[in-house]
Amino acid sequence: MKRRFSPAFTAQLGLTLAVCGFLIVPVVQSVVAGLTENFMVGVKSGLTLRWFVKVWGLYRETIALSILIGLACLACALVLGVPAAYAMVKRQNRLTRLFEELLVTPLAVPGLAIALALIVHYGAFTAFRRSWAFILAGHVIFTLPFMVRSVIAIMHAIRLKDLEEGAASLGAGFGRRFVQIVIPNAVPGILAGALMVFTLSIGEFNLTWMLHTPQTKTLPVGLADSYASMRLEIGSAYTIVFFLMIIPLLVAMQWVAKPRPRTFVMEAIAPATALPDRRAVFPSAADRSDEPVTGSGTALRLQGCAKTFADGTRALEPFDLSVEAGETVVILGPSGCGKTTLLRIIAGLESPDPGGRVYFGGEDVTEVPIERRNVGMVFQSYALFPNMTVAENIAYGLKVRGVDTARRNRRVSQMLEMMKIGELRNRPIEQLSGGQKQRVALARAIAIRPRVLLLDEPLTALDAKLRDALRVEIDGLLRSLGITAIYVTHDQAEAMALGDRIVVMNIARVAQVGTPREIYFAPRTRFVAEFIGTINRLKGRVQGGRLILPGGSLPLPERVRGPADGEIELFFRPEHARLVDPGQGGLQATVAASFFMGDRTRLLLEGAAEGGLTIETAGNRCFRKGQRVEVVVEPDALLRLDA
Amino acid sequence: MENRNTLLLTAMFTPALVVFTAFFLLPLARLAVESSLGPSGVGIYIAAITTPRYLETLGYTVFLSASVTLVTLVVSGVSGVFLARNEFRGRSLLVSLLTFPLAFPGVVVGFMIILLAGRQGLIGDITGCLFGAKVVLAYSMTGLFLGYLYFSIPRTITTLMASAEKLDRSLEEAARSLGASPWRVTRDVLIPALVPGLISSGAICFATSMGAFGTAFTLATHIDVLPIVIYTEFTLMANIAMAAALSIFLGAITWAALSVARAVAGNTVAAAG
Repeated sequence: MKRRFSPAFTAQLGLTLAVCGFLIVPVVQSVVAGLTENFMVGVKSGLTLRWFVKVWGLYRETIALSILIGLACLACALVLGVPAAYAMVKRQNRLTRLFEELLVTPLAVPGLAIALALIVHYGAFTAFRRSWAFILAGHVIFTLPFMVRSVIAIMHAIRLKDLEEGAASLGAGFGRRFVQIVIPNAVPGILAGALMVFTLSIGEFNLTWMLHTPQTKTLPVGLADSYASMRLEIGSAYTIVFFLMIIPLLVAMQWVAKPRPRTFVMEAIAPATALPDRRAVFPSAADRSDEPVTGSGTALRLQGCAKTFADGTRALEPFDLSVEAGETVVILGPSGCGKTTLLRIIAGLESPDPGGRVYFGGEDVTEVPIERRNVGMVFQSYALFPNMTVAENIAYGLKVRGVDTARRNRRVSQMLEMMKIGELRNRPIEQLSGGQKQRVALARAIAIRPRVLLLDEPLTALDAKLRDALRVEIDGLLRSLGITAIYVTHDQAEAMALGDRIVVMNIARVAQVGTPREIYFAPRTRFVAEFIGTINRLKGRVQGGRLILPGGSLPLPERVRGPADGEIELFFRPEHARLVDPGQGGLQATVAASFFMGDRTRLLLEGAAEGGLTIETAGNRCFRKGQRVEVVVEPDALLRLDA
Repeated sequence: MENRNTLLLTAMFTPALVVFTAFFLLPLARLAVESSLGPSGVGIYIAAITTPRYLETLGYTVFLSASVTLVTLVVSGVSGVFLARNEFRGRSLLVSLLTFPLAFPGVVVGFMIILLAGRQGLIGDITGCLFGAKVVLAYSMTGLFLGYLYFSIPRTITTLMASAEKLDRSLEEAARSLGASPWRVTRDVLIPALVPGLISSGAICFATSMGAFGTAFTLATHIDVLPIVIYTEFTLMANIAMAAALSIFLGAITWAALSVARAVAGNTVAAAG
């Protein structure tokens, strides 16, 4: 608080006030001048409104024309600018980028030059030259960039791509998406652009002065006339009229630009209550209603689906996969391995390279766009429509399909009940917590009775505890609905818990497909073994049926011994080793570090094998660094893996 | 579906492109052609930069715009950061007052300068009372300078306030935690972080000052700045070729200023007014 009156503060405040004075004093002067009888004498001469009457008599047509041109210009900017901005955001190619560049040029070229160009080019068309449409043409060129840029900015800010993909997954086609999703969510940007366009058009002088004729005078042209020829008082009164016109516009602009306070929503649902008794909830929900909760899922088959992006990167090597009806398949892999691309090919958001086919049941859907594939999709960002309530979001896919209101409402209620979010029915999306959004996104995807449910990292955006709770819930949901589901994640715990089968992916190709148990206990490659859980490596020489290691030797079962003596590498999981009392023939090791994890203690051991070992032991034992221990590895748990 | 959507998107994009081509690209091309149709052909451009009158005007305009830009940046930078960083009573009123002239066209700005520094202006009255001689600045280069300042400051303050609000305060806190004095924090952290904003709003300020016509038109009966010369060449002398050539010069300069700023500052820069 003391800093407030520091010399620096005072100097800055002083400068700011001086600037404010410089800007505002003449404004005040003009207001006073417009209201006084005689400006030279001052306020003493008396206050009057008669100058306004004069202005009305002399200039009312210029005011009307300016409003007319402003509105016409606004209409043109909306009709031309909004679709063009949308096209430019959606289609990034050389033509649109060139146009985006070109659009900025009217802002860089002085109005005078643009006006001159228009006169030189169109001056011969006398009717056009003499009409106000000529001025309008100049104003449209001058203001269009502002509209386009404002709309482009908002379209980038609202995750338009996610929202549109969400709408497409629910069955909305191009036109419907543009009208129901794009436009409503771009409203703040369109509004800001519209105010800007209208204000600029009303006040435009540089172009207009050159383009106007005695019959087509706008407000600023009239102002220039009044300043040049009339009494100062009339000019001032006219200026006041101009102020009165732009003040509401400026206020509206500030209001539109003001950042809305974001509502912070606490995670209201505690993990304990978030676990529904699914045996009680789901069958009963299905029983009570006259309609089943979902249609049964469809089998899914991918055949030779590869994906090469325009820049030549291979996102996916030719890929085959069969998923049975009702099965949950988890696609697991590190980020950038192509798993999301795979999901988007199944959804119909990407098409596979020529030759790849996607079958739903017996139907070849490769050429069918997402809006007609009847898939339910849950996006990582949820892609909930901010312009609709919870219930409207859930009902959207049904509305697109032309389901009547009564049945739609019934289905929405069913979904809300199933997801235990009945109280959120009429909430706007922005007032939901992350976990609630996730539930709404699931309900929206399931409401349309999809043939296949696709989930793209649905839990990644949530915190750990909520993630665990929702994982259990999603598991229950998928099993009780018997829906075919493809679930993409990079989290191995999620994959283990949810998948009937897991597809482990590594850089654009499949590393292994199998049940969670197969993947964990019989990983086929080192990548799979290391990606899922922790694995230890024993590198040593085989001699007389034993593996010779720095800390001792191990008996090797026939299975992993290999044809001849020599160097080999074997692997085992931490839980397949135990500490034994000294002298029992284990590997000698020293404790490098120990981590108490509650139910167990994780030990890093050195000296037993090259690179150290990680093993787990009961939680109640204490270890200190440097302590000598002896480890025995279960021979049956040893694995040989390809690199 | 891809193909159909491409078609639809192209359709959405076409009307704007057509209008833009018809009323901007074609006329500008025509202007370029027209400039070389005079008696001296393409040599008009050489004439434009070798004729002392035009060259002098160009020099005046560039000098005026550059000095306006400099002063605007200093004043708006200090005020913008001050307003973005301090919370005090009356702040929002002050911001509203400072941004009110944002929507004034050049003619109104000219009138404001006449009221402030014209023959019956406030400065004249005050100096008249104090020294017995009225100081009249409005109708000279000084008046034009004041007018361009009046025009540029509100825009620049708004932009710089926005960039100052976006700055990561923890950077300054980090600098202070490392022992930097307020002055050093300003020099080493604050100003470098504001540079992109300063460059882009400076370029806009320069470009608008170069092309500003309304203010000069209201004030400058005797001062030759480029837009006024173009206007007189065209309307009074009917020397269309020279007017066209000079407009193209003017456009090239402003366009170059904005392009350089865009390349340096990296964000989108556009003029207004």
